[in-house]
Amino acid sequence: MEIDRVDGRTANQLRPLACSRNILNRAHGSASWSQGDTKVLAAVYGPKAGTKKNENPEKACIEVIWKPKTGQIGKPEKEYEMIVKRTLQSICVLTINPNTTTSVIVQVVNDDGSLLPCAINAACAALVDAGIPLKHLAVAICCCLADSGCVLLDPTKLEEQKTKAFAYLVFPNLTLSILPEGSLKVEGEPVEQAIITSVTQGAMSVDDYLRCLERGRAASAKMSAFLRRSLPLQNPSDSSKAG
Amino acid sequence: MEPRLANTWRLTVNEKKFIETALQSDLRIDGRRPFEYRKISIKFGREDGSTEVQLGQTHVMGFVTAQLVQPYKDRPNEGTLSIFTEFSPMADPSFEPGRPGEAAVELGRVIDRGLRESRAVDMESLCVISGKSVWSVRVDLHILDNGGNLIDGANIAALAALMTFRRPECSLGGEDGQEVIVHPPEVREPLPLIIHHLPIAVTFAFFSNETSVVIDPTHYEEAVMGGRMTATLNANNDICAIQKAGGEGVLQSVIMQCLRIAGQRAHDITTKIKNAVESYNTERALRKIKRHSNSVSLDVCDADVDVVSERSKLIPGKSIADQSMDIEGETKSSKQGQTSRIDGDAKNFIGGPSSWDPYAGGVNLDSLKASLASRGTSTPSRKEKYSRGENMSCEADPVEPPEDNSLASSPIEAAKTPLGTNGEKTLKDAVKSKNKRKKKASSAGGS
Repeated sequence: MEIDRVDGRTANQLRPLACSRNILNRAHGSASWSQGDTKVLAAVYGPKAGTKKNENPEKACIEVIWKPKTGQIGKPEKEYEMIVKRTLQSICVLTINPNTTTSVIVQVVNDDGSLLPCAINAACAALVDAGIPLKHLAVAICCCLADSGCVLLDPTKLEEQKTKAFAYLVFPNLTLSILPEGSLKVEGEPVEQAIITSVTQGAMSVDDYLRCLERGRAASAKMSAFLRRSLPLQNPSDSSKAG
Repeated sequence: MEPRLANTWRLTVNEKKFIETALQSDLRIDGRRPFEYRKISIKFGREDGSTEVQLGQTHVMGFVTAQLVQPYKDRPNEGTLSIFTEFSPMADPSFEPGRPGEAAVELGRVIDRGLRESRAVDMESLCVISGKSVWSVRVDLHILDNGGNLIDGANIAALAALMTFRRPECSLGGEDGQEVIVHPPEVREPLPLIIHHLPIAVTFAFFSNETSVVIDPTHYEEAVMGGRMTATLNANNDICAIQKAGGEGVLQSVIMQCLRIAGQRAHDITTKIKNAVESYNTERALRKIKRHSNSVSLDVCDADVDVVSERSKLIPGKSIADQSMDIEGETKSSKQGQTSRIDGDAKNFIGGPSSWDPYAGGVNLDSLKASLASRGTSTPSRKEKYSRGENMSCEADPVEPPEDNSLASSPIEAAKTPLGTNGEKTLKDAVKSKNKRKKKASSAGGS
């Protein structure tokens, strides 16, 4: 069954992706990520001494600050901060710099649907730009359930508002290995099948959710390929950021 | 939480002495002359009233929004203007989230004074029903990168955002004529704000050596300076505000000289802002022109100059006029990304170092066409779909008439996707292209 989306995409098409690194001068790492009209800017300040009061000083700590486009910071922003922080905690190597805090600042430039996944992608790219040691990257995607039961990928804001349920999913982007046996396995199951984060809104049946997962995973493979192409090693230009 | 020691950035004694000594010979560390401004670049976002301004290394974003509120009791006929500044922690390691520090408050107040007291924005035109309902305009300024001289940068961002902001048109209705009906932008064209003049802030920094004055200090110079003065003037040489809060004492003659120079700079900056806003308005107008299905030209936003010119050969009639305007609009203000990045909008925020602007280097249009010929018509298909997402522009059919496309693609060597077919895999997927419509390789689930 064919779904007619407003911008003419099929159910499985993502919006055009764009990613650029090293945009800001003072921040240690910065990246901007846009999916269609949704655009998010993320900046990272590398490990600073000390952790916050409730954090474990034996590990590195990640602090996320979410800045909305206009308006006061409220509960939704705090929730986003918490989700991004937990996602990033699972991909950073926390044992390398104990008792330090790495700050990630996310600034929403434009919101046209699928905002949280865009922010997580931007934060990952910014961490790469800052040179923070990571276990692997994460790719985030949003899947929503249309009325007909079809799973639509990467919805716009209008689509998100009309849909009855949607899910934000974050998958790991692992290193490729030529030998199939070389891919990481945890307890016999290949780690590519892992899910880092899943946030849903609205009611959906279990089958629908599993279909979302499957579509999301396939799409994340494409996004991982995009990430690998667009985050190449760049020579650091002139001045050092620490000054 | 209290600022951590690791956050403060201190200049070493050697660096300070170097800057001061160089200034005695009228040399600045970034190579400028003492009264030279840094390069200003003003870009606009997708929505009306959103801008990004770069003043050298300083990045500021401005957003303008408006809503209907009750007016103040003592001013029932006037709308309100409020300025919110956010010193984002990404701008500087010493900016902490939470309550604004004194620098943030001072910046907000200086910009506010320049706009409000000088009556730059017309408040009375924002009144809808006297005493009951007026528009309240809110300007949010986000400082993204502190490269010094935040006041000037933020001021330019606020002005550019206010000039490009459009508020919805509203009319009175209801039984007693007292209800305000706000018309959405699709129904009635939103209106710009009435701005009488542009108050430009120009900042000077004074150093302990009495005659050293520089304009537009960088953050290194700000760490060394002894005092600062901000003069807000407009292009008519009217002084809207002067702010010199403490710091070094300065001779009167120096102040007068600064004001004279500020007048000239304000004039230059006003012209720059006006030009940027002009080109944005032209693009916006072109975007709004409804196009019919056979004149499938693109959004102005993207430079596919060769495809547009192909089409203008093939499609006669009134669309030619549109398209020639199209080309002009594009050559003026579009960017082209040839690297592995998308080129969504001329007005988008593609970051500095990796964007490639062919027009900056004076690229020959013909060579551009030749290099773009291989891109083919796939880009218009994407832009078509892209633009359809916006309610206002191109009224093109969901499935483009194939004959249009086949005519257009024949002159182009490498044939690409025909328009309107979403499911095909094409050569462009293999090419490391900037616009990537991701398609599912295997529709395993079947749809």
